Amino acid sequence: MKRTILAASLAIMISTSAYAENIGVSMALFDDNFLTVLRNGIQKLADGKDGVDVQIEDAQNDVAKQLDQINNFIASGVDAIIVNPVDTSATQAMSDVAAAAGVPLVYVNRQPINMDSLPDNQAFVGSNEIESGTLQAFAVCQQLRAEGKSNGARAYLFIGELQNQSAIQRTKDVHDVIGMDMCKFITLIDEQTANYGRNEAQDLMTNWLSTGEKFDAIFANNDEMAIGAIQAMKAGGIDMTKVVVGGIDATQDALQAMKSGDLDLTVFQNAAGQGAGAFDAALKLAKGETVNQSIMIPFELVTAANIDSYLSKN
Amino acid sequence: MSDTSQGTGGLSFDQSKRSWPNEVNVFGALIIIIMIFEILGATIMGQSFLLDSHDRFDTIFNEARLKIIILQVSIIGIIAIGVTQVIITGGIDLSSGAIVGVTAMIAMSFGQTELVNGNPNPKAIFGPAFMDLPILVPIIVGLIVGIIAGGINGVLIAYTRIPPFIATLGMMVTARGAAKWWSKGSPISFPTENYASIGSGMTPVFVFAFLAILFHFVLKYTVYGKHTYAIGSNEDGARMAGINVNRHKVLVYVIAGGLASIAAIVFSSKNLTAQAGMGLVYELDAIAMAVIGGVSLSGGRGSIMGTVIGALIFGVIISGFTFLRLDAYYQEMVKGMIIVAAVVLDQWRQRRAAMKS
Repeated sequence: MKRTILAASLAIMISTSAYAENIGVSMALFDDNFLTVLRNGIQKLADGKDGVDVQIEDAQNDVAKQLDQINNFIASGVDAIIVNPVDTSATQAMSDVAAAAGVPLVYVNRQPINMDSLPDNQAFVGSNEIESGTLQAFAVCQQLRAEGKSNGARAYLFIGELQNQSAIQRTKDVHDVIGMDMCKFITLIDEQTANYGRNEAQDLMTNWLSTGEKFDAIFANNDEMAIGAIQAMKAGGIDMTKVVVGGIDATQDALQAMKSGDLDLTVFQNAAGQGAGAFDAALKLAKGETVNQSIMIPFELVTAANIDSYLSKN
Repeated sequence: MSDTSQGTGGLSFDQSKRSWPNEVNVFGALIIIIMIFEILGATIMGQSFLLDSHDRFDTIFNEARLKIIILQVSIIGIIAIGVTQVIITGGIDLSSGAIVGVTAMIAMSFGQTELVNGNPNPKAIFGPAFMDLPILVPIIVGLIVGIIAGGINGVLIAYTRIPPFIATLGMMVTARGAAKWWSKGSPISFPTENYASIGSGMTPVFVFAFLAILFHFVLKYTVYGKHTYAIGSNEDGARMAGINVNRHKVLVYVIAGGLASIAAIVFSSKNLTAQAGMGLVYELDAIAMAVIGGVSLSGGRGSIMGTVIGALIFGVIISGFTFLRLDAYYQEMVKGMIIVAAVVLDQWRQRRAAMKS
């Protein structure tokens, strides 16, 4: 009796695994607004598709833990793995173990360092990071020009986490744009890190306000810092119509700040789109099909003019 | 088990042998640091650090800078008031930053408003029945969370006798997990106007100042305070003197948890959002403030006033570096060195005082 039950249950397990495509997902961390939207994008697609199971794990920003998760996925026989790398310089080891086991691997959101040497059944889905900072800085520049400040404008720059590639890139983008002839009229009074955090940005802005310097624009590497700056400026009695504030991410909080007339522009990175792209690529690779190894989801500029189409996206 | 050379409580503590209270030294350090920034400001920036260089204010001071110096350390300062008491008993609390995270998440979800710019709240955690609640609801819920977490810390430490380091480390990991679990990692935003007012403007400073003064007196003049010092100086002695050490320890950790949750409520209101990562490593900043302020990690010694001055030193350093437009890297390095220097100086002073007697 016991044996038949065991055999039957084994048979069921085998039959389901034969039908179902199992995809293991290792996210850098769960506790992140953007990555949560991305993760939900994957989950939603999987829920809507019969015969596909996803197992999503949290690497808690720990490189070693992430590699363990990948090894565990391989050991439990998944058909494909999606990785949102904790550290993009640690991806070679992940590619190696997946390639050795013959399991397809898709990187999402953060470009792996071994992009040029990815095996055939591995791919990257993300956005070109250079776009976001450039879009933001250029839009701020244009808006300042439109306001007639092209004879000289002063700005502050909020930098994200200094060890984070996106913060370095976005900061460089701002420098590059205000180095162009068209935007040369903008000078940076100061640039400091606020670690992508709202509270730190709020305190930093208040510190800057205490110097009494006049300024026309705020560049922030992300929306949380832009919102922190706005909160500090409002508390300091600054007229928000006189300052151009640009963020990146188009979070719900930021879009509402834009609706209130405080935030001027932000850049939308399609988190759900990246999640969906990674899911599709993983599924195709699992079925033995080929995919483009670098799948780019474009950034999009969000201003008061087109905000309504973004309100429900993040 | 008890090492009587540690701590200076009981017989070895003799007020008359100390030339002046330790707080005076810490305050002196604060003044020296301010003077350094004044000199650097005059030479590099051509303007004063704390004085009004451009005639922007009614007084001779740069009021905006004075305000931000205190404002930016108020929230961690509130936590540090609780941490100071824990350290005086000879314990440690590593969980306060994580308690801030979980309390902020849970309290904020009871403090949300239904409509944002005329649209339904996009970050709503509960249905409309739990939105636009009276302000007391999120405050009480938040306090309960902090008190429960602190109570668990206290009970574990007092009754299972595990080291405070381990008990609160466990709470740190657990509470941070709970903070992420509460909304599955997604931030909680858009509070009611009332909730938003708790941390607006200079309110965090007033809350910090009120709590600091309150607990300064509580520690100095009440039985609670005397027991706190007694346990930290000599736990066995305190027990033999008839103090219910276990019950008192639970109370101390409950108060620390409660203060962390007050910090969380003020913090989430100030930022108009609650995020699971909030308060990350705040416990270490709070401990550092206490240590700089002369609170001894071996227990029995220290005061709220010292911790407050320690907090101000932090605030002056942050504002000073921004004032000089120096990068944050240097700020962190200097902060670390000051923490160590404070303890080295204090040890040296204690040894000298002991030799003199």
